[in-house]
Amino acid sequence: MKIRTMKLLVKEGTNNVVKNKLMSFASILTVVAALFFLGIILLIAINITSNIEAMKRDLELTIFLNVNATSYQREEVVGFIEQKKAAGIVSEYRNETKEQMYDNIKKSLNDDSLLEGFGVENAAESFYLKLVDPNSSDELIKQLSTFEGVNKNNGIGYGKDELDKLEGILKIFNYIVMAILVILMVISVLLISNTIRLTVFARRHQIEIMKYVGALDSFIRWPFIVEGLLIGFIGAVLSFILTSQAYKWLQDVINAILLNLKLSTLRLLEFGPVAFRIFIIYSIFGIVIGGIGSFFSVRKHLNV
Amino acid sequence: MIRFVDTTKVYSNGVVGLRNLTVRVEKGEFVFVIGASGSGKSTFLKLIMHEEVPTEGEVYVNGYSVHDMVHSEIPYLRRSLGVVFQDFRLLPNKTAYDNVAFAMQIVEATAREIRRQVPLALGLVGLSKKARAYPNQLSGGEQQRIVLARALVNNPAVLIADEPTGNLDPKTSLEIMNLLEEINQRGTTVVVATHEKGIVDTMKKRVITLDHGEIKSDVQKGSYSDEN
Ligand SMILES: Nc1ncnc2c1ncn2[C@@H]1O[C@H](COP(=O)(O)OP(=O)(O)OP(=O)(O)O)[C@@H](O)[C@H]1O
Ligand SMILES: [Mg+2]
Repeated sequence: MKIRTMKLLVKEGTNNVVKNKLMSFASILTVVAALFFLGIILLIAINITSNIEAMKRDLELTIFLNVNATSYQREEVVGFIEQKKAAGIVSEYRNETKEQMYDNIKKSLNDDSLLEGFGVENAAESFYLKLVDPNSSDELIKQLSTFEGVNKNNGIGYGKDELDKLEGILKIFNYIVMAILVILMVISVLLISNTIRLTVFARRHQIEIMKYVGALDSFIRWPFIVEGLLIGFIGAVLSFILTSQAYKWLQDVINAILLNLKLSTLRLLEFGPVAFRIFIIYSIFGIVIGGIGSFFSVRKHLNV
Repeated sequence: MIRFVDTTKVYSNGVVGLRNLTVRVEKGEFVFVIGASGSGKSTFLKLIMHEEVPTEGEVYVNGYSVHDMVHSEIPYLRRSLGVVFQDFRLLPNKTAYDNVAFAMQIVEATAREIRRQVPLALGLVGLSKKARAYPNQLSGGEQQRIVLARALVNNPAVLIADEPTGNLDPKTSLEIMNLLEEINQRGTTVVVATHEKGIVDTMKKRVITLDHGEIKSDVQKGSYSDEN
């Protein structure tokens, strides 16, 4: 196809959008609604994933030494942790000495009589490790449990299993999101193709004339496809604006609630960092929906 | 140029449009196709431009085997034809000039060719002054001239017209027919289906008379009276 023809077809398509204001408006609204729904689901999924990741990063691996661990056994454990830190597996760690543990217990009990017969010598030293990659915990726990000084009875703890279960659920959630996306897409394509079919019908005389004069199918089809693409893109931009506003509002509300519930580690992500990704997804969806929708609606009218 | 070989058209409802038609139209001819309503005139023209396909037999037009054509070939057949209808079929939202230019844009003519050819075509049909008018600002006769200009602008080998004067008064009808004759004299083959008795009788062209889908008579320098 020649450049001037392409220009002409793009111009025709653009004119069609402007001329058929009502139809265009209806189609754009369809795209806006579909993408808005899609975006909200997408944002929920992104938020859950990122919060789980954050929770994982905050997890600490706790190690209790035996009450009667020797200082040599203690040095062995510290040496091992230091070595893992140097290797970039442990990001940071802290320890709680017997005395600190004893004080903490004392503080939390309020009543010294309960501590009768329990002295500093009965307390155990503990270590708290943050891992660079939460998934390295299994290997680490296996290695740590071979040390003499480490308490083998519930002495090593890590909350990862619970989070893994959560992630399993998230995976299923993601499949559901995927299915909803596909359904949404099909519905939008149908709605758009229906709307564009009306504009095709309104211009059936023009199509007929074009065919009598010897227009190629592509020449007849392209203005409508341009129209669909444009409608899809305009819908994507409007829906993006709508989504960002709605999300910012939602963010304030939900973060306030989380703060009230003292769940401040959980929070809704900022829109800014995901904005570009969302915009690209919207544009692609909008353009694909519009393009496919109009492609189908003209096809029928070409077979004469 | 145009050749029908034992061509039969039966519509999907069982009605026979044409029955075992064999006929030839040579390059440069001017042919009237006449006959009672329902005799198959429009069917004949529709088969030429592949708006309908024959049920049996063969149709050859400008070197194309129209009876045996793939979809992608149809536009090229149509580009070798100019088509004129009773109802004028202009685009209402384009000016006379743009309606004609549109036909050239469709076949991907250059802007220069368009600027040269469109005024020539409008001049030929005598409507240079109305180039900027929209169809609803033109009389029926003027609109049909625009259609003629559009049909001619790509220099088709064959022009087919289905009752081109059906909606026009006698004087305007005569003007349109004279224009068709002029176009024919420039070398274009012209086939006109019509009910215009007076004009057919005076123009003394080849007349093919159809009756119930069959050729009743085919006369050089014929007239309506040859029908009986
Ligand atoms: N699309 C169609 N489907 C079914 N039958 C049709 C169709 N088109 C035409 N016919 C029938 O075929 C026959 C020939 O029709 P055609 O239109 O060729 O006649 P015509 O000579 O052009 O008539 P008129 O002078 O009224 O225009 C008629 O009986 C008509 O009813
Ligand atoms: Mg007819």
